[in-house]
Amino acid sequence: MAKYLKITLSILMISVIIISCKKDSPVDEDGLLITFRQECFVSNFELLGSDFVTVRAATAVIDTVAQTINVTVNPGTDLKNVYPQFTLATDCKLDPKVVGKTDLSNLTSPKIYTVVSGNRKIRKPYTLNIKF
Amino acid sequence: MRNKNIKFPVLILIMLTSLLACTKQEYTIPDPVSQLTNDCIKRTIGPSIVSLPLEFAYAMALPKINGKLVSAQVEASIAGASGTFLEHRSFYTNSSGVDVPVTIGTPSTTVDKLTKVTFSVDTNASTLRYYYVIPEAARGQSVSFTFTANSSDGKTATYKMGPYAISKMSITKNLPVSNGANAFISIEDMAVYNAASAATNAGKIDLVYLYRATPTTFTHALVSPGADAAYLPGVTLPSGVNRSTKLRKVFGLQDRNLSNLQYGIYVDDIDFQQLDMVDMPNYALGLKAESGVWVETTDKKYRAYIFVNSINAAGTAVISIMRYTL
Repeated sequence: MAKYLKITLSILMISVIIISCKKDSPVDEDGLLITFRQECFVSNFELLGSDFVTVRAATAVIDTVAQTINVTVNPGTDLKNVYPQFTLATDCKLDPKVVGKTDLSNLTSPKIYTVVSGNRKIRKPYTLNIKF
Repeated sequence: MRNKNIKFPVLILIMLTSLLACTKQEYTIPDPVSQLTNDCIKRTIGPSIVSLPLEFAYAMALPKINGKLVSAQVEASIAGASGTFLEHRSFYTNSSGVDVPVTIGTPSTTVDKLTKVTFSVDTNASTLRYYYVIPEAARGQSVSFTFTANSSDGKTATYKMGPYAISKMSITKNLPVSNGANAFISIEDMAVYNAASAATNAGKIDLVYLYRATPTTFTHALVSPGADAAYLPGVTLPSGVNRSTKLRKVFGLQDRNLSNLQYGIYVDDIDFQQLDMVDMPNYALGLKAESGVWVETTDKKYRAYIFVNSINAAGTAVISIMRYTL
């Protein structure tokens, strides 16, 4: 009886050791979890003014094949002081990061934001086209 | 043996400590008030702004056998502006939650820094409100108050309040503006002018109010005279009106004072000091009721917050201005 108990306890201990020695889930340079997901796209886009109210005149058109975001904004919108908001596929992140007030006033040279997949292996640049 | 000798006294010590720690502290009834006593609270919250009142509630009482209240007075470190007074009525709150006044004397008299009420009724307890209208002389200074009560037994009680920092801000409320008429706004004067008056105050005009039904996003707007003509459609500016003022739209900042005591938000000196107006445009379109605009004048002499109290589709609005001198 005692023999079986010893064996069971030994297996249990080995299991605990194995589990505790399992390598931690990997994180990227931003401290974000690197997952197995390969999805890499923008699902929604919003553009807010300095008063944090939308400046869009219509819903943004996102083309995940052409990798473009086309937004029409209200006449008179001050594009030097806007806050873009991206909704991405699960576990994705954006490069460059949007850290606050953004200058999107250069309409001739649209800004490019790259979506990086959850596994950090796929990168898709999206061109943000704004027009009045 | 040696260990035993040590363990026993230690055990006794722990037990004694536990017993002491568990001793119940008996409640003692505080001594009843045996002489003239007073207390005071400041009822006004938010920044202290010149021209607005600071409100205090000053309570005083003495045992009935000692006599009655004779007078109450407040001395401010800086004389209050016109309208400063100490209530000659004591309020109590009835069962319906309504403050009911009881007259205790004649209206207060104010001489320089001193405001005084003399009791004409036989009472030994009273709470009087004190309204100190902040004078121009106190702007950017500190002000403090000494409340004093006198009783018929010759006793005096004193309570000091403050010092309170007085804001550098100025406030003007409920200025009507209208498209094409009273449309020229001066931050320096904190006033609205028509075209004729604007021409004579050309160097002081910072903004033009205008209303355009189309495009639908334009509607009510505050535009700097120096803005692109596209933002001043159909507007003929009076000669010399050409200042370029920076504007930053805000939504959801309903200052309590500007919104006629409706909300619990306050704009304070620090907001103007930390305001980032770099790269801001010189126009603000599509203003809605209860929205606002941060303003910085061309000469960087003033920053202001303009709150839109109400708008009217006919092309009129009511605005209030809070100004900070840099």
